[in-house]
Amino acid sequence: MNGFGNLLRLRFLPAAVWGLALLAIWEAGSWFLLKVLQVRMAQSKLPYIHEVVSAFGRYGSTLLKEGWVTLANAGLGLLLGATAGTLLAVLMSASQWMERLAFPYAVASQMVPILGLAPIVYGIVRDDQWARIIIAGYITFFPVALNMLRGLRSAHPSALELMRSYAAKPWSVYWKLRFPASLPGLFGGLKIAAPLAVTGAILVELMGARNGVGVIMLRNLYYGPSHVYMFWSTVVAGALLGVLSYLTMSVLERLAAPWQPEFRTKGGDR
Amino acid sequence: MTEKAVTMIPEIELDRVSMQYPSAHSDVLALQEVSLNIAKGEFVALLGPSGCGKTTLLRIMADLIQPTSGGIKVAGKSAKEARLAQKYGIVFQNPVLYDWRKVRHNITLPLELMGVKKAGRYRKAEELLELVGLAKFADKYPWQLSGGMQQRVAIARALAMEPEILLMDEPFSALDEFTRERLNEELLSIWSKVGNTVVFVTHSIQEAVFLSDRVFILSPHPGRLSAVAEIPLPRPRTREMRNGEVFFRLIAQIRDRFEGV
Repeated sequence: MNGFGNLLRLRFLPAAVWGLALLAIWEAGSWFLLKVLQVRMAQSKLPYIHEVVSAFGRYGSTLLKEGWVTLANAGLGLLLGATAGTLLAVLMSASQWMERLAFPYAVASQMVPILGLAPIVYGIVRDDQWARIIIAGYITFFPVALNMLRGLRSAHPSALELMRSYAAKPWSVYWKLRFPASLPGLFGGLKIAAPLAVTGAILVELMGARNGVGVIMLRNLYYGPSHVYMFWSTVVAGALLGVLSYLTMSVLERLAAPWQPEFRTKGGDR
Repeated sequence: MTEKAVTMIPEIELDRVSMQYPSAHSDVLALQEVSLNIAKGEFVALLGPSGCGKTTLLRIMADLIQPTSGGIKVAGKSAKEARLAQKYGIVFQNPVLYDWRKVRHNITLPLELMGVKKAGRYRKAEELLELVGLAKFADKYPWQLSGGMQQRVAIARALAMEPEILLMDEPFSALDEFTRERLNEELLSIWSKVGNTVVFVTHSIQEAVFLSDRVFILSPHPGRLSAVAEIPLPRPRTREMRNGEVFFRLIAQIRDRFEGV
């Protein structure tokens, strides 16, 4: 009956209760470490949430500015990586020969430690902006390619036979059948890739850049215990960027492929 | 004499068509030397139990697979040429509608592939939705329709390009008895307006008898044509005929054929 009320009660109420309980446990744990056990550098290990939140507030404009830089670079990297991944998936779906040639290298590329690759890329491009974009693209192309390939292959055999019976051109088969059928796969890949792109961008920033969340994270770490709440607020900011990137992909998915079974509101409408 | 010879040229002509599938132990003979002719505008059924190769036979006619041996001619040309000339409309056992397209756009799909202009496509879809009784559902998505309605959309889509030959592979077998009988009647009423050649695969004797001019009876292991039954019921076929003596006698005769196998 009251759909919205139900949604509120069934989805958000439990989440809110859990969240509050977790925060309370955290605060209690933090107090316990600091006052009862009197652990060394207790606040670096488990800081008071309210202190982190207030640091977040004081530090807000800087976090917003640097967070935006990180997000923009991660976004460009994701765009680059997703485009490359999609193209690779299309090539691999079109020819077995291409798949056999490219797939082992695509897998191998993911075995290279990013931590080692980042300085190499920086050494080549000599630009922190481009290094971030390239690394973010590098770690995103694989999940996108893999999921997109699965999506392109997900078209039902009968659906392909239907196209064959119409004597459809290969281009039409892709445009009218394989691409639409691949959208759930593509977005599955993008939802994995988007937070990875943020992580990749922050990683490069930690190794040396002029701006970004990673840079202020590192700076606060250097200043030591006096900046512990500031440091934690940058970590939270990084996490929020990841969540934001994921949610963006979810919203895009709803817009681009609203016909998927999980989005159907009235399954029993017969 | 010559004129008669011309009119007797069959629409679909199979000449000793065999189909062999390779398998681990020994090759499976799905079809053994099937020869048959289907006239233009005729409604025929391919009837038989599972494993008799009736679907394989339909797929060979549709040029979805190639026979191991034997020849097939469609309107005097090869099956491939007929497919490329877009002579076929196919209805599968499942509706095979595209989830991302509304009902209307599922029906216009073949017209898009043929390069028909938008206005023409929409007019045709409107007309076909009227024909299959789904005019009100044009803007629904396939999953918002019942199984029977989805199959009607599939039929409308198959008719969109005005195919000379309609190939139907057990189109109603997933539906309940009531829906199936109603759709049988609807299909005949559509066919009487369109007048194309229909090849209808089924394992239901009643369905084959009710719909067809002739029933090709296939038997399994290996799949082969064992008999052809003429159905002398007048057209248009009506619901009352299902209860008539002739109908039951024809069914009994065909059932006897299978018991002999």
